[in-house]
Amino acid sequence: MTAREHVLRPRISSIRWQRVMLYTVLIAFAIFYLMPVYVLIVTGLKSFAEVSLYRMWYPPSGLHFDSYIKAWFGSEAEGFRGLNVNFMNSVYLTIPATIISAMWGSINGYILTKWKFRGSDVLFPLLLFGMFIPYQSILIPLVQTLQKINIFGIRLYGSIPGLILTHVIYGIPITTLIFRNYYASVPTELVEAARIDGANIFSVYRHVLFPLSMPGFVVVMIWQFTSIWNDFLFAATVTSNPEAQPITVGLNNLAGSYIVEWNVQMAGALIAALPTLLVYIFLGRFFMRGLMAGSLKG
Amino acid sequence: MVPKIMKQGTLTPWFYLAAAIIIMFVFIVYPTINTVILSLKDKTGTHSAAVDCTPGEPCWGMFENYRYALTNQDMLQALRNNALWILLTVPGTVGAGLMFAVLTDRVRYEKLAKTIVFLPMAISFVGASIIWRFVYYLEAGGGPQIGVLNAIITALGGQPIAWLTNKSWIVNNISLWVVWIWLWAGFCMTILSAALRGVPTELLEAARVDGATEWQVFWRIMFPIILPTITVVATTMTINVLKVFDIVFVMTNGLNGTEVIANRMFKFIVTNQGRSMAIAVLLIILTIPIMIINVRRFREQEMIR
Repeated sequence: MTAREHVLRPRISSIRWQRVMLYTVLIAFAIFYLMPVYVLIVTGLKSFAEVSLYRMWYPPSGLHFDSYIKAWFGSEAEGFRGLNVNFMNSVYLTIPATIISAMWGSINGYILTKWKFRGSDVLFPLLLFGMFIPYQSILIPLVQTLQKINIFGIRLYGSIPGLILTHVIYGIPITTLIFRNYYASVPTELVEAARIDGANIFSVYRHVLFPLSMPGFVVVMIWQFTSIWNDFLFAATVTSNPEAQPITVGLNNLAGSYIVEWNVQMAGALIAALPTLLVYIFLGRFFMRGLMAGSLKG
Repeated sequence: MVPKIMKQGTLTPWFYLAAAIIIMFVFIVYPTINTVILSLKDKTGTHSAAVDCTPGEPCWGMFENYRYALTNQDMLQALRNNALWILLTVPGTVGAGLMFAVLTDRVRYEKLAKTIVFLPMAISFVGASIIWRFVYYLEAGGGPQIGVLNAIITALGGQPIAWLTNKSWIVNNISLWVVWIWLWAGFCMTILSAALRGVPTELLEAARVDGATEWQVFWRIMFPIILPTITVVATTMTINVLKVFDIVFVMTNGLNGTEVIANRMFKFIVTNQGRSMAIAVLLIILTIPIMIINVRRFREQEMIR
């Protein structure tokens, strides 16, 4: 054994020790993170009799989809509503609201970065204020305004169109700021070249910026889709009518009534989380990449 | 410099932004002013708040709702809790996020580990609260413990714990903070791990060759370089936590010492508008300092650009 090896040996064992520590910490956190997910999935697949067993975290005896059927359709005998109406409400709400607010944010972001004029001095502080303000603080005036507005016979308060409008409006700050940051990295020379070729303000957007916007749209749309689908505050205040309530409110009502068993609650929670989970699982890496590229850092 | 050509047609860009500017005024500026006005009114928003005063008791006149917001026992509890939420969950989420970012970089299943931590972001606060309520569930009636945590504790021979209805208010709050960290650490991790990618590899290599331990490499090189990003994440999380509502509303509804400002405000939204709006104004005032920090940072970035 040479002297050199002798010097190296303690370091190698300390590195091995570090690896063990590292994996122990990570596994502990993995358990912390996955335990609720496990409970969610496993309990939802159990029958009620099994949930009552004290060996709660044991796998279900078979696949029982009864809980999901109950959570989806409700149970007249037990007197609670299913989530099917709420789920569809959320679909009708989230899809248009996401698309409209992404488009709008994209146009605002384009004008703010590629056209220098005083308007940006007016809009920009408003956007920042609108992004950070606690929405609780504008709820009552918002509801009062919505109650007054009545476009073409569509009542805005208590309806899905009203909720779409609300989410589009309060989505403007974040979508505009994300696109603004995104377009700042698009070379202005491209826009200038198009201008010299005679393109007007809209055709520059249509033919130059928009085709480059896909990564921006992915981030913005995932962000908006998730926050609108998961929103509870606006959903609970703008829609008081059970027929128009989105999934978060429906889920809260389902879980709030004590007659509903845990397995049905868990099934309901999974149904409510499914669309956003799927989006994250399949598109999550684009989203993480977008987040990482600094889109949301300001 | 903006080329001259981009300045032409000054009216057209206004036209495109007009809708957004008008909407921001109608739905953000006007409601904020309205909220301040309503906060000085009574329950139904028709008379001055002074009518709610009881003779012989302290009265702040038209600021009566603010007397409630600043001196009532439940409000004091909410203010204390919000302060604790900030002091503990901001370092909690940012610290956990930073730790995940640093540690997962060193293992083989980096992507998988990151996805697991990130996934709770996809679940609504309401959904997460319902799941965690079951994790924390305490069977008080003498039946078997089916709540996961208590099932584990009793299986190991311990006594079940009331996680959300404990006599000690701090336990109930800790249970809520754990859920919050579970939900947000992934967001912090994603942004911080991007910042860590920006640390030049040569710098790290050089330090390691010179015999620096991993601990030193982190604190002396990585940490100072990503400090600006840590500040951004911390201010964002502070604003989020000030507004904390859904989790408390669903899991405890502010009972057993877990009240927070936003939940107090929500409780009065139908029954007492004036009070509700005074609490809302308090919430705006508390967010303003952080807003200023963020706006300043935005300005600095504009300068660099």
